[in-house]
Amino acid sequence: MADSISRTIRDGALEGEHAPSLTIKDTTASPYGFDVFTHVLSQASSLILAGKSQSRGLVVVAYSRSPSFYLDFLKRSGVDVASSQKWIHILDCYTDPLGWKHQLADSGILPSNSSAGACLFQDVKDINKLQSLILELGSGLVGQGKVRFSVAIDSVTEMLRHVPLSKVAALISDLRSHDQISSIFWLLHSDIHDVRVTTSLEYLSAMVASVESLNQSSDGLSGDLGNLSLLEQNFRRGKFHVRFKRRNGRVRVMNEQFHMEESGIKFTSVTVEDGLVSQGLVPKVLFNLELSEKEKLERARVVLPFEHQGNGKHIQIYDGRRSLAPESMGEVSADTSQSNTEECSNGGGEIIYFRDSDDERPDSDEDPDDDLDI
Amino acid sequence: MAATKTRTSSFSRNLPAASSAQSPEIKCGPNGTFLVSSGIPDLDKTLGGGIPLGSLVMVMEDSEAPHHMLLLRNFMSQGLVHKQPLLYASPSKDPRGFLGTLPSPSSPKDDKSRSHDAEQEKGLRIAWQYKKYFGENQSNLDGQRGMILFRFIVLYNKQEFSNEFDLRRPLDRHFYTGQHVDCISTKDLPNIAALQERCTSFLSQFSRYICTFFAIDFVGFTNLLIVTFRNDATVACTGRIAIQSLCAPQCESSNMEWEMLSFIRSLKSTVRSAIAVAIITFPSSLVSATFCKRWQHLADCLVSVKAIPDEDKELAKLLTGYQDIVGFLNIHRVPRINTQVPAVLEATTLSIKLQKRRYLVLECLNQAPVDGSSGSSYGTSGSCSGASSKSGSLDF
Repeated sequence: MADSISRTIRDGALEGEHAPSLTIKDTTASPYGFDVFTHVLSQASSLILAGKSQSRGLVVVAYSRSPSFYLDFLKRSGVDVASSQKWIHILDCYTDPLGWKHQLADSGILPSNSSAGACLFQDVKDINKLQSLILELGSGLVGQGKVRFSVAIDSVTEMLRHVPLSKVAALISDLRSHDQISSIFWLLHSDIHDVRVTTSLEYLSAMVASVESLNQSSDGLSGDLGNLSLLEQNFRRGKFHVRFKRRNGRVRVMNEQFHMEESGIKFTSVTVEDGLVSQGLVPKVLFNLELSEKEKLERARVVLPFEHQGNGKHIQIYDGRRSLAPESMGEVSADTSQSNTEECSNGGGEIIYFRDSDDERPDSDEDPDDDLDI
Repeated sequence: MAATKTRTSSFSRNLPAASSAQSPEIKCGPNGTFLVSSGIPDLDKTLGGGIPLGSLVMVMEDSEAPHHMLLLRNFMSQGLVHKQPLLYASPSKDPRGFLGTLPSPSSPKDDKSRSHDAEQEKGLRIAWQYKKYFGENQSNLDGQRGMILFRFIVLYNKQEFSNEFDLRRPLDRHFYTGQHVDCISTKDLPNIAALQERCTSFLSQFSRYICTFFAIDFVGFTNLLIVTFRNDATVACTGRIAIQSLCAPQCESSNMEWEMLSFIRSLKSTVRSAIAVAIITFPSSLVSATFCKRWQHLADCLVSVKAIPDEDKELAKLLTGYQDIVGFLNIHRVPRINTQVPAVLEATTLSIKLQKRRYLVLECLNQAPVDGSSGSSYGTSGSCSGASSKSGSLDF
């Protein structure tokens, strides 16, 4: 739930604990991760401005959008950017990440223009420098004392283009364990990376928010033009799935739906579906005393090898004597033989029953006691 | 507390002779092994008394839950309480800081009240899992002998084999501010060789076998005689190594999977010939599947911890005591040294509970079949263990 995320970020870190960290991940099937990121950003900003959150400042490390975009966005979301110098710093890794423009400007090819406001960072391969710059900017905002600030990394995907995973992980874990950081959140496009990258970043985060599409089939090329409008509609919606790692070691899973509108992303809650999670965790050691509906129907259809089928038909009792009238005998024997060898058509099983009394010779008038020699 | 057999041959093993009565932290196990406590009495019981000396315990972490830290904390505290030298490696920048969070042994009166509570909870119960109650009585008999002594002889600091640890009380500083506690941070190590060296040098103080070659002049002949000496200086010492999150992503060396594998192998062999126990935790989801399998094969004792979902109604119906359970512990392999007979455990999945949020308790999962007539599980009534199963295995 987006609110729970904001609340966790607002509450920040406890003394002696790692700062809470959030991974927002999306895929090309539902590429709204950036909207979620900006949503969290605007919520965090408004909380900082209102003084309700533990952190008093925000450092945004911008790789995929320019700083002016962020300032405009915040203005549109109703956050007061006039005083932005006091509470937000945007580290510009977007304009000139590798320092090429600077080199070209030096050699006179490009006119140099200085970017106002945001801090320009031109050496994204140097992760140590980035880390120290983040900390410097942050403490510049909040001072040196016990006050904390939050860090938002625009896109870890972009960061991973320049720097290997172990260094990014080291940066994040250093920031988390730093006593001036209140919370940290970042965006990741999970389908571009190896599974290892995604799992490593999830390992380091206390909350994992994933943006998924409504229909599970990732292949959108169904080729059905009639459904195109439906597809388009569904594309603007999706599922928002969050896993929280709680302090006591349990994992809280929350699901919501979101839809994209002009003004941004909107979240709606969804009814909780039955989890089949428990089945996988608990070892299966039980036996089943219940029958499902299908099994009950099957059981009702089995023809038992007795005359009393319990279905209202006239009960024919076989008493071993065949001295009855042949017609009725014929009927009786035909019926009984039929019922005996009738196959259970539904289950495919067969109950073949031969009565032991059939082995007796009928109507023997012998008195078994005659054998006795008294 | 069994008597050791004295051997008369010159090839005698440097066994800790203090296993009888003198040092309660080591007790005799089956097949000529010696056991140390893992710090969690329930786990000791499941493993057959304790962790055998010379074994390598590997814990597979769940990336969503910090339960492996509970195991590590208890293990380290137990070693420190018994004044056993400890080597601790972790990926954080300041591993020493973690020592301040280690739990302290609980005082006996806390234990007493804990067992009373357990009694009162029971009420009228149908003893579905009757063995569970037997087990409790037995452990009471074994472990409480020392406790009874503790209660009466207050001043005499009698150590026991295994302590209950109170997770809310930190360990006294004097336990870990000695020379015998060493910490390494694995984060900035460029490769695994540095860690390997530290482990080897740490373990060299605990080696079992010391060979000395003598040349004896015997009527003109020179004979080489191999004599093993008992290393009396360290006879009361058992070393403990605790390595946390071996393959954490923030470590440089996490990419070098073959090097890490050979490190684990060399650690295992060094530990086997030392009077020491090593425990390694690693995030199994971050290691590639083939290497994960290899690492698992190297372990003498393999356990894994698992997180459970919060507020899960299905799980609450399946298990009693769901509110207290924080996670699951799966025991995949029990250490079997000097024997070919496998150990078959009654239950390989234990639930991790924190009683009163202080004491780590491992319990067997309580499940029972569903009541066939009414279709509801007994678990909802709370008096009996209850379960509902939708997997049709046997149909009556």
